[in-house]
Amino acid sequence: MNWLILLPVVAVIVGLLFTRIGLLGWVAIVWVAVYTVASYAIIPPLPSSIVGLTMAIVTVSLLVYISTDESKLASVRDPLVRFMVDRKYQNYLIAVVATIPVLAAARVYIQMNQPIEPPAVGRTIHPAPPQEMSFKGKKIDLVNVENPYRALEQSDPQEFALHVEQGRRVYFENCVFCHGDRMDGEGIFAHGYEPRPANFADPTTIVMLQEGYLFWRIATGGPGLPAESGPWNSSMPAWDQFLSEQEIWEVILFLYDYTEQRPRAREHHE
Amino acid sequence: MQFFTSLLIFSLPLPLLLAASTVHAGEVTLGTDAQRAAGKENYQKYCAQCHGAEGDGSGIATPFFNPLPRDFTSATYKIRTTESGELPTDADLKNIILEGMPYTGMPGWPQFDDEELMELVFYIKTFAEDFADPDAIVAALEIPEAPPFSSESAESGKTVYEENKCMECHGLYGRGDGEKATTLTTDAGDPIRPADLTKRWTFRGGPTREDIYRTFTTGMDGTPMPSYADFIEEEARWQLVDYVYSLSRETANYSDVIFARAVEEEIDLDSPEIVALFGDEAAFIPVVGQVIEAEREFFPSANAIGVRVIYNDDTVAMLLNWHDMAAEDSGTASPIKGDIQTTSDAVAVQLPSEPSHGQTRPYFLHGDSQNSVNLWFADLANELSNDGARLFIGKGSQNVMAVEGSEGVIEAVSSFADGEWTVIFKRDRASDNALVFEEGQFLPIAFSVWDGFHQEQGNRRGITSWVNMYIAPRETQSFIGPMLRVGLLVLLIEVLLIAWVRRKYKRTPG
Ligand code: HEC
Ligand code: HEC
Ligand code: HEC
Repeated sequence: MNWLILLPVVAVIVGLLFTRIGLLGWVAIVWVAVYTVASYAIIPPLPSSIVGLTMAIVTVSLLVYISTDESKLASVRDPLVRFMVDRKYQNYLIAVVATIPVLAAARVYIQMNQPIEPPAVGRTIHPAPPQEMSFKGKKIDLVNVENPYRALEQSDPQEFALHVEQGRRVYFENCVFCHGDRMDGEGIFAHGYEPRPANFADPTTIVMLQEGYLFWRIATGGPGLPAESGPWNSSMPAWDQFLSEQEIWEVILFLYDYTEQRPRAREHHE
Repeated sequence: MQFFTSLLIFSLPLPLLLAASTVHAGEVTLGTDAQRAAGKENYQKYCAQCHGAEGDGSGIATPFFNPLPRDFTSATYKIRTTESGELPTDADLKNIILEGMPYTGMPGWPQFDDEELMELVFYIKTFAEDFADPDAIVAALEIPEAPPFSSESAESGKTVYEENKCMECHGLYGRGDGEKATTLTTDAGDPIRPADLTKRWTFRGGPTREDIYRTFTTGMDGTPMPSYADFIEEEARWQLVDYVYSLSRETANYSDVIFARAVEEEIDLDSPEIVALFGDEAAFIPVVGQVIEAEREFFPSANAIGVRVIYNDDTVAMLLNWHDMAAEDSGTASPIKGDIQTTSDAVAVQLPSEPSHGQTRPYFLHGDSQNSVNLWFADLANELSNDGARLFIGKGSQNVMAVEGSEGVIEAVSSFADGEWTVIFKRDRASDNALVFEEGQFLPIAFSVWDGFHQEQGNRRGITSWVNMYIAPRETQSFIGPMLRVGLLVLLIEVLLIAWVRRKYKRTPG
C-alpha cells in the first residue's frame, strides 16, 4: 500500500462530505478515486488488465445505481444536458471537447514510448528444499539433519572454536570473492553476476534458515535449484565438487559466528 | 628526544589522541595500550584473513587476490599525501580503510566509526618499527583545491602526459598498454599492470581530480607508478589531471540489455567502413573471473567488454571491444581445456542453441546436458577471415565440442590497436542448427574473454552472466498515425453525443 496516495484520497473524500456537491460530482469522484487507488496506491502495482476490469465494474455499478430511480437519473443527467445545450457554457464546452481527444492521443504516445524492458523474471529466492539429498553417494535426510558440530558450542567451546576457525578458512579460500569479506554479498566479482551473491549480513537471510537448508544450498549450488529459482542464472557454485561434508558444516558455523546470528531451530524442537 | 615524545604522548589527554590526525610532523602517534588492544581485536576478526595474523600479508585469502593483501611489516603504502617513500599520515590510513580500494580485495569498512578506525590504524602501525621513529614521520603535502575542469586545460594536459612519458606505461590513450606494461613488477617482484586510465572507477586511490593529482604527485610506493613531485609545475599538474580525467567517463555504467540495431547497408567485414556501421553506442558488460567450475580463474585480465550488434535482412554482426596490455597473436587458444603451451588471446559469444522454452535457459557457463549453447569462438592468433572463427557446442563446462564442418558458418575479423581489441563476428540470421534472430525478440547472450598473456584457456577465462539482447524491430512504429486515429475517433464520438443531446433537449436561450 502506498499511503502517500491512499491517505490524501480518503482525506479528499471525507472533506467533500461536508460540501454540497451533487450526485454527478459524487459519481465522478468515486470513479476517479477508485482509478487512482487501483493504479497508483497498490504495491506491487496491479497489471493494467486488472485495473481495466476494476474500472469496467465500477462504471457499470455506478450506471446501475444512477438508473435505479428517476430523481437520481435526473440529478446526474440534467447538469450534463445543461452543459451541452446551454449557450452560456459554450466556450467551456468547446474547451472540453477539444481537450479530451488531446489527452487520449497523449496516452497513446506515452504507451508507445515506454522504454523497452527485458521480460521480468520472477525468482523464488528460498525454494523448498528436497526431503533428502545425496552427498558424494551418502544420503542426507534434510528434514532431520543437524549440524554435527553445533552441540559442541555448549559441551566443548574450545573444540567448537576450532571448527569455526576451520570454517573461516573455507570461507576465505572459497566464498570471499562473491559473498565478500563483510559477508554482505559485495565481493570483488559480485558486480558481474546476476542474480547478486546472497548477503549474509542482512538480518533477514540466514537467521530465517535452518542449517540443513544451507547445507543443501552450499552442496548443490545454483545448478541444484528447482526451475522456479532459475538454476541456469545462479553463479553459486556446487561445492560438492570442491569441499568435504565436514568443511561445509564448518563454513556454516562460521557464517553464523561472523555475522553474530543464530540459525533457525528445527520446528519440532520448540 | 624519543623519551620526550613518549612522555608527551602518554601525558596527553585521550581526546587529543583521538584527533591524532592533526599532529605535526615528527610527532609519533601510537595510541594507548587500550586503543591498540581494541584495534587488535577488530583486526583479528576482520582483517587477518587477508593481511595475516602477524600483519605480514599472508592471510588465508592471500593467494586469491591480485594485487596481494598488503604486508604491513614493509610499511609501504600506495595511497599517501606524503612524499614518495615516506610513511603515510594517520589520516591517510584511516581514509583508505574507510574507503577501500576499488577492484582489489580491499573493501571499504564503513561500519567503523572514527574511533575504531583510529584504533585499527594504531594497531597496524605496530607491525612496522618505522612508525615509532620520529625522524621517519613527515607532514602531509598540501593538496590544493582543484580549479574547475576545463577542456582547454585537458588539451594542454595531453602534452604534459606525453612529455612525462606516462604513455610508456599507460599507453597513448591511457588503456594500460604502454610498451613497458607487460614487464612491470612491484618492489616485491610480482607482476603488476598499469592502471587503465579510461576507467577511473577502478582507481585504487579514488576517482576525483584531487585523487589523480595526489597519485602522480606522491606516486604509489611499492609499485612502478612514480612520483612526479619534482618534475611537473603546479599549473601543468592540473592540466595533466584534467587530461587524465577526460580520458574516462564518470562511472562504469554497466548495461544489462544490448540493443541489436537494424541497418540497411550490406554487412561486409572487409569494407573499410564496417566499424563505423556499428555506430558509437556500445553496451558495456562487466567481465569477472570464472571461479565456479574446476580450472578456476581468480585474476581475469579483462574487466569489461563493449558490445554493439547490428543486423540486416539476412545477416547479424557483433562488434566486441576490450582492453588488453598487449595482443598475444601467436600460439593457439581453445574453449576446451588442454595443455596449450603458447596461449593466444581469444573471445567467444555464447547463445542458447535453441530458442528457450518459457524462462528456461541453458546454464550460463557453457550450457548443461539438457540445454546446450552455441559458442562463436575466435582464436585471435589466426588470420580470422580464413579459419580463426569456429562454432562450438557447449553442454556444460566439461563438455564443449567443436562442430564438425562449421568452418565458414561464422566469419570474423579482428584488429588490435592502442591497447584495444576489436573483433567483429558475422553470421546468417537464419540457418539450420542456429537461432533465428527474430525482430522484437529478447535473447540471452553471454561472453568469454581469454588472455593469452595470462595463459588463459578452457575454463580459465573471464566471463559475463547472461545478459539480454533485444533485436530492435527494423520498422519503428510511427506514433503519429495511431495518435491521430484515437484523437479523431474520440472527437467524433463527442460531437455525435452533443448533436444527439442538443436535438433531444431543445436548446434553451442563453
Ligand atoms: C561465484 C560466486 C559465488 C561463490 C564463489 C559462492 N557463492 Fe554462494 N551464492 C552466490 C550467488 C549468486 C547466490 C544467490 C543465488 C542463489 O541463491 O543461488 C548465492 C547463494 C548462497 C547461499 C544461499 C543463501 C540463501 O539465502 O538462500 C548460500 C548459503 C551460499 N551462497 C553460501 C556460499 C558458501 C558457503 C560459499 C563458499 C564455500 C559460496 N556461497 C560461494 C554466488 C557465489
Ligand atoms: C579480503 C581481503 C582483505 C581484507 C579482509 C582486508 N584487506 Fe586491506 N588490503 C587488501 C588488499 C588486496 C590490499 C592491497 C590493494 C592494493 O595494493 O591495491 C589491501 C591494502 C590495505 C591497506 C594499504 C592501503 C595503501 O594505501 O596502500 C591498508 C591500510 C589495509 N588494507 C587495511 C585493512 C584493514 C584495517 C582491514 C580490516 C578492517 C583490511 N585491510 C581488510 C585486502 C584485504
Ligand atoms: C613506470 C610505469 C609508469 C609510469 C611512467 C606512470 N605510471 Fe601511472 N601507474 C603505473 C602503475 C603500475 C599503476 C598501477 C598501480 C596499482 O595498481 O597499484 C599506475 C597507476 C596510475 C593511476 C591510478 C591511480 C589509482 O588510484 O589507482 C593514475 C591516475 C596514474 N597512474 C597516472 C599516471 C600519470 C599521469 C603518469 C605520468 C605523469 C603516470 N601514471 C606514469 C605505472 C606508471
